[in-house]
Parts: sequence; C-alpha cells; structure tokens
Amino acid sequence: MSNALAGAAVARRPRVSPRILREWALFGLLAFPNIALILMFVYRPLLTNVYYSTLDWTLGSSTARVIGLDNYREFFTGPDAATVLGTTAIFTVTTVGGSMLLGLLLATVLNRRLVGRTFARATVFAPYVLSGVGVGLVWTFIFDPVTGVLAGLLRMAGLGSPQWFLQPDLSLTMVIIVYVWKNLGYCAVIYLAAMQAVDRDLLEAAAIDGAGPVRTFVSIVWPLLSPTSFFLLLTTILGSLQAFDLIRIMTPLGNGTTTLMYDAYLQAFGGYNRAGYSAAIATILFVILLAMTVVQLRVLERRVHYA
Amino acid sequence: MTTHSYLSRRSLLGLAGLGVGAAALSACGGPSTTSGSGSGAASTDPNGPSFDGVQPAKQITFWSNHPGNSEAVTRQIIQKFTASTGITVNLVTAGSTYEEVAQKFQAAQAGGQLPDVVVFSDVWWFRYYTQNSIIPLANALKAAGVDPTDYRDGLYADYQYAGAQWAVPWARSTPLFYYNKSDWKKAGLPDRAPKTWAEFAEWAPKLQAVAGAGQHAYEHPALADYAGWTLQNILWGYGGGWSKKDSFDITCDTDQSVAALQYVQDSVYKGKWAGVSNKSATDDLAAGACSATIGSTGSLVGIQKAVAGKFQVGVGFLPGGPVSQSPVCPTGGAGVGIPKGIKPENQLAAAKFIGYLTNPESTVAFSQATGYMPVRKSADTSSLLAANPLIGTAIKQLDVTRTQDYARVFLPGADQEMAKSVAQIVTQQADVKQAMSSLKGTLEQIYTTQVKPHLA
Repeated sequence: MSNALAGAAVARRPRVSPRILREWALFGLLAFPNIALILMFVYRPLLTNVYYSTLDWTLGSSTARVIGLDNYREFFTGPDAATVLGTTAIFTVTTVGGSMLLGLLLATVLNRRLVGRTFARATVFAPYVLSGVGVGLVWTFIFDPVTGVLAGLLRMAGLGSPQWFLQPDLSLTMVIIVYVWKNLGYCAVIYLAAMQAVDRDLLEAAAIDGAGPVRTFVSIVWPLLSPTSFFLLLTTILGSLQAFDLIRIMTPLGNGTTTLMYDAYLQAFGGYNRAGYSAAIATILFVILLAMTVVQLRVLERRVHYA
Repeated sequence: MTTHSYLSRRSLLGLAGLGVGAAALSACGGPSTTSGSGSGAASTDPNGPSFDGVQPAKQITFWSNHPGNSEAVTRQIIQKFTASTGITVNLVTAGSTYEEVAQKFQAAQAGGQLPDVVVFSDVWWFRYYTQNSIIPLANALKAAGVDPTDYRDGLYADYQYAGAQWAVPWARSTPLFYYNKSDWKKAGLPDRAPKTWAEFAEWAPKLQAVAGAGQHAYEHPALADYAGWTLQNILWGYGGGWSKKDSFDITCDTDQSVAALQYVQDSVYKGKWAGVSNKSATDDLAAGACSATIGSTGSLVGIQKAVAGKFQVGVGFLPGGPVSQSPVCPTGGAGVGIPKGIKPENQLAAAKFIGYLTNPESTVAFSQATGYMPVRKSADTSSLLAANPLIGTAIKQLDVTRTQDYARVFLPGADQEMAKSVAQIVTQQADVKQAMSSLKGTLEQIYTTQVKPHLA
C-alpha cells in the first residue's frame, strides 16, 4: 500500500531534466547580480526609509525613538500639508501638461521639411541632457531682478522686473517655466519619432477623403499617438513628482516651491534635521507615485489605441 | 481562455519569509532605538577626552566651504602649518555654504568618512553638541599648546554650553552698515552711517529723491541670506528679539518685536524707500541697485573689489533703535571644531591645526584676504588697518556686539522659519502681529520637540 502511494507521488512529481536545471542555473547566474543590486540599492533603501519614518530621529544623531505613525499624523494634521500637496499638484500638472503640449507642437513643426531641421531637433533636445544644476544657475541669472538679462530687457521697455525670488507665486511660476523649457525637448523627440511612424497610407487616404490638416491630426494622428502620450504621461509625471535640482538651485528656501520631494529634502537637510519626519514624507510621495502609476496602467491604458 | 494562478502554501510561506527578511534587513543600520532619543552630550566630560600619551596623526582632513572666498589664504596657512609641524592637511571643499557642509557632516555621522576638522557656523555647532557629534576642546587645546585666553572673549564664549568649549572662532563676522558714498554726497548727507533707524528714516527720502530708476535707498538682506541674523539688530534696537537674552523664551511676538518688524514693513510699503534683496543685498549695492544695506564683514573685501572704479563704499556701525542704541550688533560667522568619532591621534593633530589656523599671524592674514575679524587679542592689526582702514570699523564694532538670540542659533530650522515669516511681512504685506504669533508657535514647538529633550 505504502509503496503504491510512494509510486503515485513520484508519478505526480515529474523528474526535472538536467537540461531544465542547467537553464535555471544559467538564468540564476545571469540574473543574480542584477537582482542582488536591485535588492540592495532599491528595495533595501525603500524598506529602510519606511522603517525610519516610524522614528523620531534627528539626522546625525546615533539614537532615535520609535513613535509609530506620529510622523504621518503630524504631516496630515499640520498646517503645511495642504500647501505642500497643493504646490506638488500645481507643479506636476503644469509641468507635465506644458512639456507634453509644447513638445507635441514642436514635434509637429519639426516633422515638416524645414531647412536646418536636424540642427533644430538637436537644439530642442539639448536642454534635456544638460545638468539641472547648470540650467538652474543660468536661469537664476536670467531672472535676477537686478542684474539679470530679463530685467535688462524689461528696463529697456520701461518696465520693472517682477520679484521672481520673493513672491511665492512668481517663484513657482519661474521654476515651472524653466522645468518645462528643460524637459519639453524630451517630449518633442518622442512625439516626433511616433509621428514619423504613422502609416503614410492612412494620411494619404485621409487627404483623398478631403480631410484637412486639423481633421487629419485629430482623427488620424492623435489617436495613433495615444501609446506615446500614455508613455510620456507616465514618465513625465514620475519625473515631475521627483523634481529636485532646479528647485534647490533656484529657490533654496522653497518659498512657494516646496513640493513633497523638496519638503522631504528640507526636513532632513534644510536645517530641520528631522530625518524620521522626512522619511515619512518620502514614503507618502512613494505611495502617491505607486498609486498614480497603477491607476494609469489600469485605467488610462484601456483608452490607448494601439495601431 | 483565462488562466488562474493560485498562491500555494509554499509560495505564501516564501513570501512571508522574504518580507520578514526584508523588514529585518531594513531595520539594520541607522540609529539605535534602545536608549531613547537623548544624545548623552550633557554627560560628557566638559574638558573633553584626555590626550595623555597620544601622538598626533601625520595627516588630517579639513572640511570647509571657504567662507569669504578664503580657499587660497587657507591653503597658504596650511602650507606653513605643514612646514612647521610635518602634519599634512587635506583641505576639502565640503559645500559652498555652511548648510551644505552641515549636510555632509551629518550624513557622515551615519557611517561615512568623518573629517578631522570641520567648519561650524553659528547655527550649527549647537546641533552637533545635542547630537553628541563633537568633542569639548579644553583638553585638546591644552595638549596642542593653544592658549585659549588669547581668543577674543566674546567670540570664544559664543561656543560655550554646559560648561564646555565646543569650537573656537575662525571666520567670525558681524553685520556692517554699507553705504554708497556717492549717493550720500548727492543727497547731501554726512559721510557716516545713521546712528539710529529713526535717523535713517529721515535720510531715506533724500536718498530716494536722487536715486536712479528702480533703485532703493535701502535694501533689506535677502531672506535666504540669513535674514534672521541681521534683523536681530533692529529687533534689539526696539527692545525686542527672537527670544529673551540667553533664554529659550520666545519673544518674537512682543509689542517691541512687532514694532521693530512693523518699521521694516513700513519701509517697504509705506515709505517705499526700501526693497528686499532677491539674492544678495551686498551684490545689489555693488550693482548700484540700492544706496545702503547691511551685510557681513566677510563681504567687505568682495564689495570693495566689486565697486572699485565705480564708487566708494563707506561702512559704519549698525544703527540703534528707540529703546537701545548699543549693543545692537550680533556676532556671527563660523568657528572650527573636532568630531567625536575619529581617532585620538587625529583629534590631537586637528587641535594643533586649529591652533595654527587661528593663531595671531594666521588670523591677520585671513582677515586681510576676506574681511573677517581677527579672532586673537594679541593679533597685530596695524598692517591690516593700514591696508584696509574699513576693517578698523568692523574691529571696533566688536566691542559693542551682543550674543545672538538662542531662538535663532539653537533651534533647528529656526532660520528658515524666521525667513518664511519675514517673507510674509515684506513681500505679501501680512499682518506683523499675526505672522509673529504664528512664528512663536512654530519656534516653541521646535524647542519642545527637538531641543528640550536633548538638554540636561
């Protein structure tokens, strides 16, 4: 009886062939370094950050006190939460919308047969690959109300310069302008590549049917660009929510420009030294990023039209 | 056809194990949570560690942000120190501001490579004390043969707490009143700084009348440029302050403090003769955007170079107020100290270097190159004054300085909170009393949650 059961068990569990074992071993050999690095440098810091968010810990101190969810409670019940979340929302919506819209317009222009088209494409893309710190410094000089280029031009026109660095609303506007300028080249290049992949037969058919340029764009090109728009929406939202360098360089105090990302920095390194509280803000940002990514993948992707 | 994947017991256990492992992994490292949040700094021997039988290391590292563009002169001093002692000093640019150096130093506490000497600004050394990151210097200075009684008393005392010395003065400054002599002459004003802010309010319309388009008679320092530091002058002049003298009792919302900041707001919105600098008020003065401002003595040499050939710059003591005309000038700038978590050999070599960096000859050379104050009583300043007479005004003002308010220098993030509140007052015309009441609440919370638990 027992032999029969053992025999049945053996029969249910087929023997793994040496070839499959070799393939698994090869897979492990090739994948292990990457998996180990990802675990060490992505997931470990992520989990460590969540752990730190439960501490009352002053950066630089060797001791801390476990306080559970108090850091989260403080953030959501504190006076700054609405401002920080609002600034984050405004910054993200305007920079994502601005970059994508202007990128699309630029791509439409660059898709035509123009003299110096290659040079124009390189010029449009160049700011994206420049250092954010360098870009921030240059634009800080441009916006300087006393010695800046913009102030000089306004003076020539008999106008005074706005106080870009003092008024919170203007500071946010200034940073948004520079962020869009820096990133629209990325959107433009991706959109341009997608436009060039649109089937010429479809465009010719639309033209034969009497569709004008606007109708062709709305009914043919735009739907075919939806996978690209979806991709850009995903990546630019992630980028905007994590924007740091321009804000740090142009508005170090974060006066009007304190997004979630920058608040996490300010709380830990900007003078407050509240590493635990900063970790809680970073965790909140992570949850928002994760939620938005899931929503985009689950909801928006259904509306994407793949050719 | 749809396929369903079920979570088997084995998979569930595997995932649970992975989760527990990850959680354990995440809890490794970082701060200890077994001994509460107290730093233990207060229980440290106030004289610091003993250096009996310790030989100084042959190589040390110095982290600086080169205040006042001091890298070149610091390297010269280091060369002489190495020639004199055989100890080499690796000068590291650890940031462009005190805050950036502090970020790096605090990050290094969590396991990075610590320096042997580090620059501490007036608002940072106390945090290192509460975090138990630095050593008291009495024994180290004694072992290095440094005479602490030769440091200027007020500047040396700035780094004392709980009966211990936590740093020594190095790039020390005070604010100075800077003015454009040409504008003064055009407005028919005497060639001196105003004695009081009331007097300047009388002068300002005359300056504004001769000012160019977009130019202000006066510019308040940039909010990001330590506004909380320079504003102590006017607060004290009116009998107020960020906090009561030598106390954590917050007083920024008293009638006197509110009156002082109302004067500041009125200078912008009612009198319309003052602006607020966006980046650097002293740069704006040099660019001709204002006729006067307050700036650090550490900016003196830089301003003189910037205005050379354009106009002459004058300097004077900070103006007084209706309640107090002196002392109304805060000390400021930076000192140098020694981390706790390094070898005694390195600490001793660091103390020797600190002594040399701030000795009478070095401090004069440093002052000549930057405009910062000589920090030694025995420093021969005759050559310094002959080369740059304006430094004499800054040195004389040292006799009428006042130690800064605890609320500004000892509360983490207080400078940022003060700047935010002042920004509301001078850029959004917020109600001064309301803004200060709100600031008081914030500062008191910082004290209660972040400072009080660390004090003995």
